[in-house]
Amino acid sequence: MKKKNTGAVVAMVLILIYLLIPLIISVIYSLFSNWTGIIPKGFTVETYAKLFRDPDFLASLGRTLLICVIPIAITIVIVLLALFVTVIYFPRLEKYVQIICMIPYTIQGVILSVSILSMYVSNKSFLGNRLIMLIGAYCIIILPFIYQGIRNGMRAVNINVLLEAAEMLGATRIYAFFKVVVPNILSAIIVSSLLAVGIIFGDYVLVRNLAGSQWQNVQIYLYQAMKSDSMKSSAVFCVIMAVTFIIAAVVLYLQSHEGKTAQKAE
Amino acid sequence: MNKKKYVYLIALLPFLVVAVMYEIIPLIMIIINSFQPDEGAAVFTLANYQKVFSKLLYQKAIINSIKISLISAGIGIVIAFIGARAAHQVQGRLHNVFMAILNMVSNFAGIPLAFAYMIMLGNAGVLVQLGKKMGFDALANFNLYTSGGVSMIYVYFQIPLSTLLLIPAFEGVRKEWQEASMLLGASRSAFWFKVGIPVLMPSILSTFSVLFANALAAYATVYALMMNNIALLPIQIAGCFVGEVQIRKGLGGALSVTMMIVMVVMILITNAISKRFQKGAAKA
Amino acid sequence: MSYIRFEKLCKNYGDKQVLKNIDLEVEKGTLVTLLGPSGCGKSTLLRCLAGLETVTSGKVYLDGKDITNVSPKDRGIGMVFQQYSLFPNMTVEQNAAFGLKMQKVPDAEIKERVSKMVDIVGLHEQRKQYPNQLSGGQQQRAALARAIVTEPKVLLLDEPLSAIDALLRHSLQVEIRRIQQELGITAIFVTHDQEEAMVMSDMIHLMYNGVIEQSASPTELYTKPATKFVASFIGHYNVLTAEQMKTVSGQSPESETVAFRPEIIAASKEPIEKENAYMMKGRIAVSLPHGNIIRYAVMCGGVQVDVDELFSDKEPFQTGDEIYLAVDKGECIYL
Repeated sequence: MKKKNTGAVVAMVLILIYLLIPLIISVIYSLFSNWTGIIPKGFTVETYAKLFRDPDFLASLGRTLLICVIPIAITIVIVLLALFVTVIYFPRLEKYVQIICMIPYTIQGVILSVSILSMYVSNKSFLGNRLIMLIGAYCIIILPFIYQGIRNGMRAVNINVLLEAAEMLGATRIYAFFKVVVPNILSAIIVSSLLAVGIIFGDYVLVRNLAGSQWQNVQIYLYQAMKSDSMKSSAVFCVIMAVTFIIAAVVLYLQSHEGKTAQKAE
Repeated sequence: MNKKKYVYLIALLPFLVVAVMYEIIPLIMIIINSFQPDEGAAVFTLANYQKVFSKLLYQKAIINSIKISLISAGIGIVIAFIGARAAHQVQGRLHNVFMAILNMVSNFAGIPLAFAYMIMLGNAGVLVQLGKKMGFDALANFNLYTSGGVSMIYVYFQIPLSTLLLIPAFEGVRKEWQEASMLLGASRSAFWFKVGIPVLMPSILSTFSVLFANALAAYATVYALMMNNIALLPIQIAGCFVGEVQIRKGLGGALSVTMMIVMVVMILITNAISKRFQKGAAKA
Repeated sequence: MSYIRFEKLCKNYGDKQVLKNIDLEVEKGTLVTLLGPSGCGKSTLLRCLAGLETVTSGKVYLDGKDITNVSPKDRGIGMVFQQYSLFPNMTVEQNAAFGLKMQKVPDAEIKERVSKMVDIVGLHEQRKQYPNQLSGGQQQRAALARAIVTEPKVLLLDEPLSAIDALLRHSLQVEIRRIQQELGITAIFVTHDQEEAMVMSDMIHLMYNGVIEQSASPTELYTKPATKFVASFIGHYNVLTAEQMKTVSGQSPESETVAFRPEIIAASKEPIEKENAYMMKGRIAVSLPHGNIIRYAVMCGGVQVDVDELFSDKEPFQTGDEIYLAVDKGECIYL
């Protein structure tokens, strides 16, 4: 049986090589000042040192972080509230909440950004503020991920039984939902927020189309660096990828951890 | 008790406000805009759509978008099938490493991806230089800035996504079936063609339509590479709204609606094909 | 007046009537079982008492008060669910303390009552563990502790042992019964397992199709089934129509149906001489050893009659043997 798997192993290794080559080349590129021959020459970490001394870069990182937090917090709260009402009191409405939450998954960034832009760009009130538009758009673009994460978390803990049990013990439904259900889906909420961080962190379309030059995040910083200095931009690239990978690794860890505890309960 | 129940609908309000303001109304407006002229009074007109389907640039954008999406989704799904099957057969360390890297790389797209390919295969790219030094013409003369080059980058971001989507489906292919078919004298490939692939077909098709949509809507990657100099739907749509002196809501709306229709048509086609496979495999 | 009373209780799901005019009373301090096949409405009836289902019409009384429209949290009812109802983010102790916290019991008292209850259900060593560290049986013990630590007026058990394997199930049955009797709890137990019902209850209410077919003590239910359904559900009664009875024995009984248990039938290879009995003759189709008895399926002119014989020195019958049967008329139940 073991022998037959050689083909599978080869396929996996080839795919891994294919996926890793661009990353490895970019990392090497950022660490050597001269790579025109076969062997890169002039090892240096000066590029990184300079980058982290660049206030523009640090500001762009800060902006990216800041713009992650607000929409994610808003979306988690509104989805939790909506699910609280629909799951407990109006199960029939849940279908519609789900549809609304899944639409952004198919329309994606370009259409969403231009439709929000054309709607509010000439609005004189706060709605015309580029940052408000951007936050609104981010709320929508992460909606499917937050919704699915929370909903799956709820399915995994059997919330109807938990709610009934809490109610039989004298808890109100609101108390039961926020004190019994929410703590139990906390890791699902964390995982979906991290996925959302990954999405916003990697976003270029929405921020370019909606905020223009007003809100230079790391992606825009990278795009501008690309035009002038390829070594500096490869360092920016490595920082972005490192952050992305750390997020993905944490998600993966939390998910596998979750899977293990769930299995034990079986 | 029943009257009190409706009080709780208030909790649904924040969700509805956000969804209506930033999802539902903007989408409805963009559809309405597509039927109104960009200049002059707001009257019903099909002029925008006429322009989309008659002007060469937009015709090319539609065709290119569909072509690149089909090619990258097609290649992506084949590699994903091989990868997911392998991941299903091989357990242990390699499996875990494979999964971890797929998960991480699935976020590798957009500007950073375009950048990595430019470093690698751009005009002064590392591999191109290497090809020149070693006299390897195919590499030396490689031109990333073509629709072929774009398709190649798209294939890259399709692979992790589609493999991750397909792996769970392989759990549905029972080991017992494979063992039964072997005892009945079928070869491995015969099993896959007669049983495995038909059972997996609904998952393969739905993954395919996700990949198609993913490629169709991709913007950052190709923009970083070509700026506005390529006829692709997302680029042309964004071009109508951003960076122009006057926003062309109507034309941009018509292009957006066209893109949404292409996406919906693709979903309908894959669903229709999928139904024909689902008869016996509905529960798998 | 009885402690719990259902009065003309009806429950519809859309057009489907799942409970039809249920009248039922439960005495204080007893354990009664709602027994029946799945879909008979037994769980729904229990959930109506808990307040987890709203009733379509009729009334529910508990301890002399009409609780039909009282919210579940204010009914003072404890409940143990089928499975996975423990709060996964809380330890055994924290789970057990939950209800007392809701009642705003002082912390010191909570601690004392919880630790006592955890000991009673035999989870002293596991008291700091989380549900996913417990076995299925331990989880249900913890759920029991959580339900009764608040000293509810009535304890509801909704098939609490159905997900637990057979060996452990028997010991838990005994234990639940012991705790119920020791603490004098009024309890309603829902199950589809007739043996479980027999072992545990003071009183069994057998349900079928949304109505109560018979309410009786376990022994009475076994020896005196009141309807055809009860006879076929309890024990392994042979239930024959008058016409079938005529074909196999040549005698017509006075009622529509005759039911008799397999163990009261006398069987022999020789013709049997017996007064006041139905005589039959048939051929053994199947013989199945069942612990200390052998069950024979005997075909008598196209009708199957099950016969139980104790293992004994006597040579067992062989498949294909032709045998004579005698059914004492006094042991028959006419329905």
